Amino acid sequence: MKINVMQDVLQANDRIDGENRQLFKKNHNLVLNLMSSPGAGKTSLLEKTAEILAGKLRLGVIVGDIETTRDADRISRFNIPAIQLTTGTACHLDANMVASALPHLELDKIDILVVENVGNLVCPAEFIVGEDYKVMILSVTEGDEKPLKYPLMFRESSLMLINKIDLLQYTNFILEEARANARKINPAIDIIEISCTNGAGLDEWISWLTARHRKKSGGAGHA
Amino acid sequence: MHEMGIAQNILDIALSAAGKEGASKITRINLVAGELRGVVPLQLTFCFGLMAKDTIASGAYLNIEEVPVSGHCNDCSADFSIKEYEYVCLKCGSTKIQVTGGTELSIKDIEIE
Repeated sequence: MKINVMQDVLQANDRIDGENRQLFKKNHNLVLNLMSSPGAGKTSLLEKTAEILAGKLRLGVIVGDIETTRDADRISRFNIPAIQLTTGTACHLDANMVASALPHLELDKIDILVVENVGNLVCPAEFIVGEDYKVMILSVTEGDEKPLKYPLMFRESSLMLINKIDLLQYTNFILEEARANARKINPAIDIIEISCTNGAGLDEWISWLTARHRKKSGGAGHA
Repeated sequence: MHEMGIAQNILDIALSAAGKEGASKITRINLVAGELRGVVPLQLTFCFGLMAKDTIASGAYLNIEEVPVSGHCNDCSADFSIKEYEYVCLKCGSTKIQVTGGTELSIKDIEIE
């Protein structure tokens, strides 16, 4: 006997995503889902961002990592609340894992909440967790063809940060190629070149971030 | 390996639907998977097989119907399929494309005994 089901496989995730979203809206949190491959610079970017925003906007971080708490330790040195989720074998964060971290954060005291996803260019793009924007980092040491190999992540992201541009001269990474490949997948994607080592482009990243925070908080808040 | 989480969800939904009908066995699950979801059928089938063990879905055939990416042009209203992730209108060259297919991931129906 055949029975009709017609159910979205990820509906459980999407329902919790909706609940997270409501909480974030109530607390005027701008929420970013930060994704990249391992070692592209997610934690370094958060360290730099925390440094620049100190005293201006309050940052909060949820970090997903398969085993260790090293990333959360690195971030909490900046006196910002950081919750570590060790995912065990899971290669991504889903809405439920993010929801489990929320009771441990004082959301009303956070302006920008960054969900630092597990380092992986595939699975994290599949699961919405309540974010306003997906932001991804591509580092020049990874290669400019990555958008074509991992289209979903580039398609879903609002912003691509090209990190480690201070190393450009030592690689065969061509900026124009990377831009063209990303725009082919996602014509509307914003692209900013940065270096977390020498600080290049970080002012442009901070402007991107604060403009979106202003929009989300409707002009209210602390910026 | 997001296939593991997806397989678990498929199993949960199928078991709950079969439970409502008082089924003793699930023999087949028809899944629709858009190309953009990046599901690897072989991996998904493998994960599902592992998880379904010791349930009434044990041995069920997971049929995966893959849906190619398609788009609609917001400028000239053309509908076309998108190949190689080129989000450009085949008719007028516009990049104002709305994705109309290829993102779905749902269970269409199941067969039970």
